[in-house]
Amino acid sequence: MMVLRRKSGDVICIGDDIRVVIQEVQPGRGIRFAIDAPVEVPVHRLEIYKIIQQENRAACHANALQWLQGGVNVADHTKE
Amino acid sequence: MSQIIPKSDNNQDPYIFPQGLAGFGSAHAFGFIYAGTGDLVCMQSFDQVEASFILTAWDDERLGCPPHVSQDQLHCLDMTRQQLEAGDDVLWMLVLNPFADSTWVTANIRAPILLNTVTRRGIQCIQHDTTLALRYHWMKHPTAPALTAANA
Repeated sequence: MMVLRRKSGDVICIGDDIRVVIQEVQPGRGIRFAIDAPVEVPVHRLEIYKIIQQENRAACHANALQWLQGGVNVADHTKE
Repeated sequence: MSQIIPKSDNNQDPYIFPQGLAGFGSAHAFGFIYAGTGDLVCMQSFDQVEASFILTAWDDERLGCPPHVSQDQLHCLDMTRQQLEAGDDVLWMLVLNPFADSTWVTANIRAPILLNTVTRRGIQCIQHDTTLALRYHWMKHPTAPALTAANA
């Protein structure tokens, strides 16, 4: 993992299309930054995104259509 | 009020999700299959065959208005705020999870799906409000004993 030291107003680039601007550093309150990324790049807080990833995976089923048609016994597929 | 799409959707073009879905980043093109089961549809990825979900329409009466949509999300859908607010070309959907609970089919209120039926683009609108339910009790499972008994 790359570790950088940056000041307020500095910019980090990730590839050609993503810019991270350090807007404000407030001791004890954290760092405020702005992210400029292409629309196809989802940008979220990690803890939020991980929860949605997990829930999407839990809701996903290769036989979703079959379930709709009543052919999947949920008792056999209940998962966290 | 959203309506369920694909019953009357004869357009064979897929819906494109530029951001994919969380956990399924390479799934960008989806088709909808109506299986004749009430207001439920199957959303099937064309890129990642295992990415197959059951969706239903957002229900204003139960949930209130759909969440705020950011400018970036509108851009992703190739839609203006006026078009969103007019609501004619917009469908809000919920991802259902029939597999988390043996009694209830749950709905993910924290990350509904928003579709632009004109540009055929979609996005999962992830909300940062942690009070929104990940597993909202949407309906009794068709195989739940209470429902089975009630229908007997």
